[in-house]
Amino acid sequence: MSGLWPYVQNDKISNHVLLGGRKLEKIKQNPIVKKIGFNRIILAGVLVLMYILFGVMCSVMGRASFFNISRIYSALNYTYFLGFLALGVTFVIATGGIDFSIGPVMFCSALISGYALTKMEVPLGVCLLVSILVGTLFGLLNGYLVAYWDMPSFITSMASMMLAKGIGSVFTKTQSVSWPQATEANGWYRSLVKITSGGSIIPTGLIIFIIASIICAIVLNKTKAGRYILCLGSNKEAVRLSGVDVRKWEALAYVLCGMLAGIAAIFFVGAYSTVQPGLGDTYNNEAIASCVMGGTSMAGGVASIGGTFIGVLIISLLQEGILAMGFQKDFQYVITGIIVLVAVYIDNRSRKRKN
Amino acid sequence: MGEVILTMKGIDKSFPGVHALDHVDLEVRKGEVLALMGENGAGKSTLMKVLTGIYKKDSGSITFEGKEVEFDSPRAAQEAGIVIVHQELNMLNHLTVAQNIFIGREIMKGKIIDDARMNQESKKLFDRLNISIDPTEMMGNLTVGKQQMCEIAKAISHDAKVIVFDEPSAALTEAEIEELFKIIRDLRDKGLGIVYISHRMDEIKVITDRVTVMRDGTYVGTLITKECTKDDIINMMVGRVIYEDPKTESKVPEDAPVVLKVEHLNAGKMVQDVSFELRKGEILGFSGLMGAGRTETARALFGADAKESGDIYINGRKIEIKSPEDAVKNGIGYLSEDRKRYGIVVGKTVAENTTMASMKDFMKGIFINKKKEDEVAWEYVRSLKTKTPTVDTEVVNLSGGNQQKVVIAKWLTRNCDILIFDEPTRGIDVGAKSEIYTLMNELVAQGKSIIMISSEMTEILRMSDRIVVMCEGRKTGELDISEATQENIMHMATQRK
Repeated sequence: MSGLWPYVQNDKISNHVLLGGRKLEKIKQNPIVKKIGFNRIILAGVLVLMYILFGVMCSVMGRASFFNISRIYSALNYTYFLGFLALGVTFVIATGGIDFSIGPVMFCSALISGYALTKMEVPLGVCLLVSILVGTLFGLLNGYLVAYWDMPSFITSMASMMLAKGIGSVFTKTQSVSWPQATEANGWYRSLVKITSGGSIIPTGLIIFIIASIICAIVLNKTKAGRYILCLGSNKEAVRLSGVDVRKWEALAYVLCGMLAGIAAIFFVGAYSTVQPGLGDTYNNEAIASCVMGGTSMAGGVASIGGTFIGVLIISLLQEGILAMGFQKDFQYVITGIIVLVAVYIDNRSRKRKN
Repeated sequence: MGEVILTMKGIDKSFPGVHALDHVDLEVRKGEVLALMGENGAGKSTLMKVLTGIYKKDSGSITFEGKEVEFDSPRAAQEAGIVIVHQELNMLNHLTVAQNIFIGREIMKGKIIDDARMNQESKKLFDRLNISIDPTEMMGNLTVGKQQMCEIAKAISHDAKVIVFDEPSAALTEAEIEELFKIIRDLRDKGLGIVYISHRMDEIKVITDRVTVMRDGTYVGTLITKECTKDDIINMMVGRVIYEDPKTESKVPEDAPVVLKVEHLNAGKMVQDVSFELRKGEILGFSGLMGAGRTETARALFGADAKESGDIYINGRKIEIKSPEDAVKNGIGYLSEDRKRYGIVVGKTVAENTTMASMKDFMKGIFINKKKEDEVAWEYVRSLKTKTPTVDTEVVNLSGGNQQKVVIAKWLTRNCDILIFDEPTRGIDVGAKSEIYTLMNELVAQGKSIIMISSEMTEILRMSDRIVVMCEGRKTGELDISEATQENIMHMATQRK
């Protein structure tokens, strides 16, 4: 079910590969640890460690304390939209494909629906649906081309990334779009992200993200769709020869991914208000990085929603921490890059061992 | 015929569970063409792989030009002067002919590749062989025949003294074969030793001087081509004792209904106008040599590959099969010869593979009924005696025979009435083999029908009620088991158009 670690987890081979030897093996065989997944525990450990590290660094460098609740809220803002992108792309990577269009598709959704809201006076509820619809349509396009026309997902999604950037830009006449603030008319959508009442803040976004993650985990692990997506990612031809309409299920993964990118758009504007045309590609990389970190294999067939969830938290914390220490975002890219390389390396090695 | 240039003596080679070569001898002389013949799996390719250093021999000796040699790579063999021209060509289509010939040892002018000189040198090679190919042409633009000529030219350029042709004519047209023979004779007359591997009797008679026959990894004997007949060679190829008792008569009742009828099936070169019937409770064997089009026929029938034409009837009703999905809906299950690629999803569990084809029976609303799935999987693990610790074990951890059982379980779960077993016991050890046979017999006793494609003559004669023989994409015969012998099957299997 999940990424790089299960191989390590239940194979005899792991003994001489992992550092700790017998003792570690014992921990991994513990039923509770097995249930949660050894990798996710490690990953959660990394998350906590990072948080402490940033706190210490900030105080050493004499900057404002990192252990401040506002920091967490700020990091969470980043978590929501990135989270939905990452959940979606987990399905696509599970099929053995890739989707590089999610970031720009999210922006395209936000631009089109935001333009409709602010310039065309379309009701807010409809605009939110439009946002999800635009994302879904891009997912449909990608899924159809990849599954039914056998186009490589890499290049297909790259092309639709450019389409998304261009269409969003054309639609808004290259203007950026500012969604209304919470206090303004039509501002209620912001309560999807957080509700401020008096002095206290309820992070509704976090609740929704957790629920969405649980639903995704159920879809991936407990339904026919998820089963077939994982199986075809592992050996598409064998699944096809079992009489399964693999094209339908492969396409579905992309549609889910597009739809979640459309939802991500709502959480992006709910946190940051303004969307500019022609951007969004950096979020692809961060979303994909979250998946890979969480143990979803780029070779397909193996995916973990729980891993993706923690992966997203790590990336969000990373970007917040880097900002808090007063560095530019470039540093975040460097660190993300290194993390992804390490994750892919581990994935590769465990797969080679398996063969 | 000149002196002996290459001697292989007492070559022995074992793989885990298989004694592939059992003290095989081979002798090649200068200025002769030696045919190397044998059924599928007789050990011809293994022997050649030992010769060129792809496999290491367990014992025996190779003497080349009077010296004992042992090559550790094809490259070392090449440098010494032994070259194989493979059936599947190793050419890079987007490079020119000359670039292909000199790949890995490009002629340099300082640090720059000297294409002009390579073109000149290639031209000289082609002139020596009396063939006209433009060295600057892209390899991909040449016909298969011409590409093979290039492969030969490449071999010559290595200053080869022994050239092994591994089924060179399989992909060639008549005219191309003629041209190939001209070149081979030419090389022979220049004093090279040629080893010619082929299944085609007629060619053997035309081009070779001596025939060495192998069977089941052993050396059977060598004949002078001029002095022997086609029947002599066939008898040597198949003259094995069948220790597992062959079926003597069909076990299918006279009045058993026809469950599957295939009429005039066409799909590319490998499936030409194939028609046959399968009756309830019957095991229909498909025999033939490698590349006879049996797997292709099965795949076209199953909808795995597109077919050009042909009608398929199940229980007398005409049906349309456009995809494996259609085939499965109509109760056909296909067990591929290549389990790992087409049969199972190795990274998934026994249970997941078992229910793969019948997911909809295991749903509780939108959720998978894991409990029922495990129950059914366990049921088949027990009844098929699959050796696996749990049903949640990934099938990658199972042995070949047990993986095959998981595939069988998949189709039984789906309750298919027609099962296509493509090489059901390939890569399976002896014990598991007889279990699979027992299982197949049980299945037909229950009223299921089986199409069994097999390259093993013993398997065909032991299991089939009726036998369809194919050669080069055509059905060349059909035999009831009571009239089938190794000899008449082999005759049909080598019946070229």
